[in-house]
Amino acid sequence: MGDQSNRAAHGASMYESATKIYPREMRGRFANLSRVATVTLLGLFYALPWLSWDGRQAVLFDLPARKFHLLGLTLWPQDFPYLALLLIIAALSLFFFTALAGRIWCGFACPQTVWTEAFIWMEQFTEGTRSQRMKLDQAPWSWDKLRRKGSKQFLWITFSLWTGFSFVGYFVPIRELGVAIAQLDISGWTLFWGLFYSFATYGNAGYMREQVCKYMCPYARFQSAMFDKDTLIISYDPKRGEPRGGRKRSLDHRAAGLGDCIDCTLCVQVCPTGIDIRDGLQYECIACAACIDACDSVMDRMNYPRGLVRFTTEKALEGQTVRVLRPRMLVYAALLAILTGGLVTSMVTRTPIILDVIRDRNTLFRELPGDQIENSYTLKIINQSKDARSFRLSVAGVTGLSLDGVSDEITVAGGGVLSLPVRARAHRDHAYGIMDIAFAVTAIDDERVVVMEDSRFLGPAP
Amino acid sequence: MVEEEYQGTRQWSRNAQAVASVIWISFLTAAVATMVFFAIFDPAELAGILDAELEIGREAGYAAGFFFFWIIAALCSGVTAWLVRTAPKRNKQRR
Repeated sequence: MGDQSNRAAHGASMYESATKIYPREMRGRFANLSRVATVTLLGLFYALPWLSWDGRQAVLFDLPARKFHLLGLTLWPQDFPYLALLLIIAALSLFFFTALAGRIWCGFACPQTVWTEAFIWMEQFTEGTRSQRMKLDQAPWSWDKLRRKGSKQFLWITFSLWTGFSFVGYFVPIRELGVAIAQLDISGWTLFWGLFYSFATYGNAGYMREQVCKYMCPYARFQSAMFDKDTLIISYDPKRGEPRGGRKRSLDHRAAGLGDCIDCTLCVQVCPTGIDIRDGLQYECIACAACIDACDSVMDRMNYPRGLVRFTTEKALEGQTVRVLRPRMLVYAALLAILTGGLVTSMVTRTPIILDVIRDRNTLFRELPGDQIENSYTLKIINQSKDARSFRLSVAGVTGLSLDGVSDEITVAGGGVLSLPVRARAHRDHAYGIMDIAFAVTAIDDERVVVMEDSRFLGPAP
Repeated sequence: MVEEEYQGTRQWSRNAQAVASVIWISFLTAAVATMVFFAIFDPAELAGILDAELEIGREAGYAAGFFFFWIIAALCSGVTAWLVRTAPKRNKQRR
């Protein structure tokens, strides 16, 4: 833990709103939990692009090819509804966990928090503890200051660049990208987005930090709408703590009329957003639980029971029973279950073929000798399965409608797109005006795999 | 390097807050708009429709689309924020 001696001197300034915030490093249960979360989440982010699956990158959002690879699954732009559904499920889960446990997302899982934490580690490694950082800032420039600041910047920038590289690695095959960078043969846009993300990481995690939560995050503003008196929050127990005040360790503070809070302001010093938790629930609080660790360590030293600042609920503080299963939770859970079930079912049962029909824009129809009317189309058949597959194409909707120049067996490579120009013909006795037709693609190996797509057949005015 | 640039977690002025939220929220909006738009339209085909001679790759198309949406969204929320903040205060004395 940091320097105890100067806490009074600097602690007081923390109450003012316009000061720089130097979060004090903290050890304890929640600090460990947050360390585990940071290492796990960042580890996942940096490792995932390097994993392989079936000989290709396991997670690759291949934008140039317009295909998303997710482990064994390949998604196409036509699968966009799945993505939309997934985002809705993610939002609902956030609501669910907010109602249940408050802002644990903010404190432990938000990328802003996680990367800030990593940047603070680098800062502590190069510039030292909270009080050392404050002294260093006030000190005139010296060789030592230059060395410390310089190595911090070096670590930050290297880490940011690696982050940008990993980010781009989700969209461009990362191994090839690595080779391209080594050979200084990297495409302009790839370089641009890599640097863009690096810069955003550097600025957000190095400098903006909790200002993002306070001023820029919409979730921070509306999360209170999900709160009720049964939601888990971090709170100071004023009944136990007040009246606060300094005292000797030997003093029987209860007899002296004092509460458990010794007013050491450690909870304020460790707060990354610079608030005083003892003032009650504030929207700046990101539930990082640093104040709990701080207060517990003081309670241990004073031989008082832990938990003067703790995860609790408003009802618990008022001495009432806490209800976990309340209507709000049941509604969120039910919605989540329905949507997740729907997503899984539709993904499992989806037909692995996509058929797009584009009518030829340039000509409405052509009149052929023999009183035949012809319309032209371009068909796109996408085979979403891994292996090549053969299909039969048919069309219906106009009497005697037939396809010209289409073979009986159309083979599409695994994960491939086949662009097929098609001419459909009908006798002019049956083809007049605008008629609805439907193309159908049937898998030859399995007649049940059929995809239909509507289009129109145009003929002369009746 | 100025010392204030150090750890920078200081309170922002109201103008800085407004600028930051406008840029950030329009960035998020642009990201969503880009995703939806390019899930439906392929930039390579779009370029062909707009101008047969226009040859831009998909990557450039995505980037152009994203920045287009970002500028539009930033313009919209920027002007809105400015109007809200510079609106005349309601005079409580006058009925």
